[in-house]
Amino acid sequence: MDILVYGTINSVSLALMGLGFAMVYGISRVPNFAHGALYIICGFVTWTLFQKAGLPYVLSIFLSLCVNGLLGMFMYRFILIRVRGMNISEIICSYAIGLAILEGLRWGGFRGMTNTLPVFMEGSFMLGGVPVDYHRLFLVVIGLLLLAGLWVFTHFTKLGLALQGMAQDEQAALMLGIDSDFMAMLAMGFGAVLAGIAAILILPLGNIVVESGYNVLIMSIAVCIVGGLGSWMGAFFAAFIIGFAQILTVVFIGSHFQMVVALMAIILTLILKPSGLFGRQKELEERV
Amino acid sequence: MKRKPSRMILTLIVSLFVLSWGGYAFAEKPIIIGAPLSMAYLYGWTAERGIKLAVDEINAAGGVDVKGTKRPFQVEVIDTRDLEPGVPVSEALMAVERLILNKNADFIVGGPNRSEAALAAMSLLSKNKKISIVTSGVLTPAYHKTVEKEYDKFKYCFRIHGEAVNLIGEMIANFADLKEQYGFTKVFIIAQDVSHARGAAEVMAKVAGSKGFEVTGTEIFPTGASDFSMALIKAKDTGSQIINIWMDMPESAILLKQWYDMQIPALPFGSTLAAAEQPGFWKSTDGKGQFTLCNVVNAGNAPSEATEWTMKFYDAYTKKWGIEPEGLGASSSYMAVYALKDAVERAGTLDPDKVVTALEQTDMMGVYGKLKFDPKTHQVIPSTDPKEGAVGSILQWQDGKRVVVYPKSIAKGSIMLPPWMVKK
Repeated sequence: MDILVYGTINSVSLALMGLGFAMVYGISRVPNFAHGALYIICGFVTWTLFQKAGLPYVLSIFLSLCVNGLLGMFMYRFILIRVRGMNISEIICSYAIGLAILEGLRWGGFRGMTNTLPVFMEGSFMLGGVPVDYHRLFLVVIGLLLLAGLWVFTHFTKLGLALQGMAQDEQAALMLGIDSDFMAMLAMGFGAVLAGIAAILILPLGNIVVESGYNVLIMSIAVCIVGGLGSWMGAFFAAFIIGFAQILTVVFIGSHFQMVVALMAIILTLILKPSGLFGRQKELEERV
Repeated sequence: MKRKPSRMILTLIVSLFVLSWGGYAFAEKPIIIGAPLSMAYLYGWTAERGIKLAVDEINAAGGVDVKGTKRPFQVEVIDTRDLEPGVPVSEALMAVERLILNKNADFIVGGPNRSEAALAAMSLLSKNKKISIVTSGVLTPAYHKTVEKEYDKFKYCFRIHGEAVNLIGEMIANFADLKEQYGFTKVFIIAQDVSHARGAAEVMAKVAGSKGFEVTGTEIFPTGASDFSMALIKAKDTGSQIINIWMDMPESAILLKQWYDMQIPALPFGSTLAAAEQPGFWKSTDGKGQFTLCNVVNAGNAPSEATEWTMKFYDAYTKKWGIEPEGLGASSSYMAVYALKDAVERAGTLDPDKVVTALEQTDMMGVYGKLKFDPKTHQVIPSTDPKEGAVGSILQWQDGKRVVVYPKSIAKGSIMLPPWMVKK
C-alpha cells in the first residue's frame, strides 16, 4: 500500500513538472530549457509577494502565475521567435535564458534553505495504514484535475482546438487562419503557468532552492522523452512509469539508485523506441 | 619656467591626500587570505562571514604584527560551487588555483567545502606551498589521515573544525544517554550520496553496532532526491527509535517535514544537517522542525557559554550580519583567522614552513575552547571540555529555539521527545 500511495504522489509530482515542457514542445516545437527556471522564479515571486509584501497567499499565487505567464510569452515574443525552427539555437537560447534567471536569482541573494511556501492544509491522515499529509493529497487531486481540465480545454474550446491544430500540423493550421506565432507565444505562456502551478504545489513540501531548477528541467525532459516529445498524455503516463520505478527502486534495490532511474529511462527509450511511448508523429517519421 | 601657483597647490593637495590616505589605511602590504567557498550554500557563506568578521576585528585593532611591521589582512573570495549538485571537483580546483596565481593569496582559509574537492586540492596546495586551514564542510577523516600518511608533502594542510569520526563519537554519547533514559536501542541511518556522509554512515553503523545498538537499515539518497517516504516507512516498520541523518543538501528539509507529517516514532538526529542548523529553519518548516537534533560541529555556531569568547563572537556576528551564527563554518572560520594571526606573529614571517611550525605549536583559547593542532595530522584536537580542547555542539529545536544539549559542559537544556514518542 505504501508503494501505491507514495508511487502515485511521486508520479503526479513528476507529471506536474513535465506537463508545461510537454505542452510548449507539443505546440510550438520549441524545447523550453528555461522550464526549470520558470518553476523556481514562480516560487520566489510567490514567496516575495506573500512573505515580504504581505499579500494574501491566494492573491500572491494568482499574481505570480500571471507574472510567469507573461514572462513565458515575453521570452517567446522577443527572444525565441528569432530562432524558431533552428533546433540547436532554440535549445541554446532557452537554456541561456534559464541560466540567466537562475544565476540572477542567486546573484540577487535568493540563496539558502529557509525560503519556503506554506502548505495548503496542515495535518495528516492514514490511507490504508500509510500516513499521508493533506498537502500531498491536494497535490494529487489538483494534478489530476489539471490534467482533466487541460484535456477538456484542448478538445472543447476554440482556443484549445487551435492549439491542438498547431500541435498536429502547423502548416495546415496556418492555412485555416490560425496565427502560428501567436499560438506558440500563448503555448509558452501556458507552459510557464503550468511550471508555476507545479512550483506552487511541490515547493511547500520542502524549500525554494535555486539549484532545484536544474533538477526540475532534467525530470521534465525525462518524462517528455519517455512519453514521446510533444505528447501531453504520453508525459503523464511516463511520469507514472518513472515515478513508480523510482519508488520501487528505493524499496527493492536501494535509494542510492533513485535518480539513475530517470536517466536510465531516457537512455532505454532512445535505444528501444526513440519516439517515446506516445510520440506518434515522430514514429511516422521514423518509419519513413 | 615659472610654474603656476594654482598647479603647485593642486599637486601639493593631491600629494598630501595620497600620503594621508595611505597612512590611514595601511602603509604595509596586506596579507591576502584566499577563501575558496561554495557561496550559495550555508557552509560557504557562514565561512565567509566568519572570516570577514575576524579580519575586520584584527584590522581595526592594528593588523598582524609581522616582526614589528603591522600588516592588515585582506580577503579574496572565489565561489567554488562545490557543494552544488553536479558541479565537478575541477571547478573548486580552478578556484583554488586562481586564488593562488591570480589573487596572490598568501594563505587559503575556508574551503573547498566538499570533502572530495578539499582532498583533491591538497596536492595543489602542496605544490604551491600554500598553507590552508579548512574551516567548513570538510568532515572526511581521510583529510587528516592523508596529512599523517605523507606529512612532508601535505604538511601545509590544517583543519580547525571537528571531523566525522569525532562527530560520531559525540552522537554515540547521546545515543547512550537516550538508551539509558528511554531504552532506545534501534538506529536507522539516512545519508546523502557524498564522500563524507557515506563514510560517516558506514562508520556510524559499525560503531553503533559495537556499542550495543541495532542498526535497522541504511539508506543512501542521491543529492537532489526529494522524496523520503519509503525510507521513513522502513524506519517505522523496523521499530527504529533514532533516525541518524547525514545530509547537507537543501532537500533534507523535505525529509524533516515528512518525518513530522508522518509522525514517525523515531527521533531525527542529524549531522551536517544544514537545513536544520540555520535560525530560519523553524519558520521555514512552520514549526515542524521541533525536536530535530543537529550536530553543528563546534560551539559558537549555536548560543552557549563555552568560553569567554563564545557569546562575544556570537553577538559580534549577529550585529555585523543581522543574523545569528547560522551553523557549521561560522565559529571555525572566525577562529582560523585568529589562529593564523597568532602563528604569523610568532613565526615573525610569512614563510610557509615557519608558519606551519608555528601553527603546530598553536595553544590559544577561542570561541569553542582551547585550540591546538595535532602536530602529526594537523587536525584540531577535540574535547568535551572547552578548557582542554575544541568542543562540539549538538542542538535540538525546542519551541522555536536552538537549544544546545551536548556536551554537558556547555549544555543549555536536555533532549526532548515528540509527543507521539512519549509512552503514556
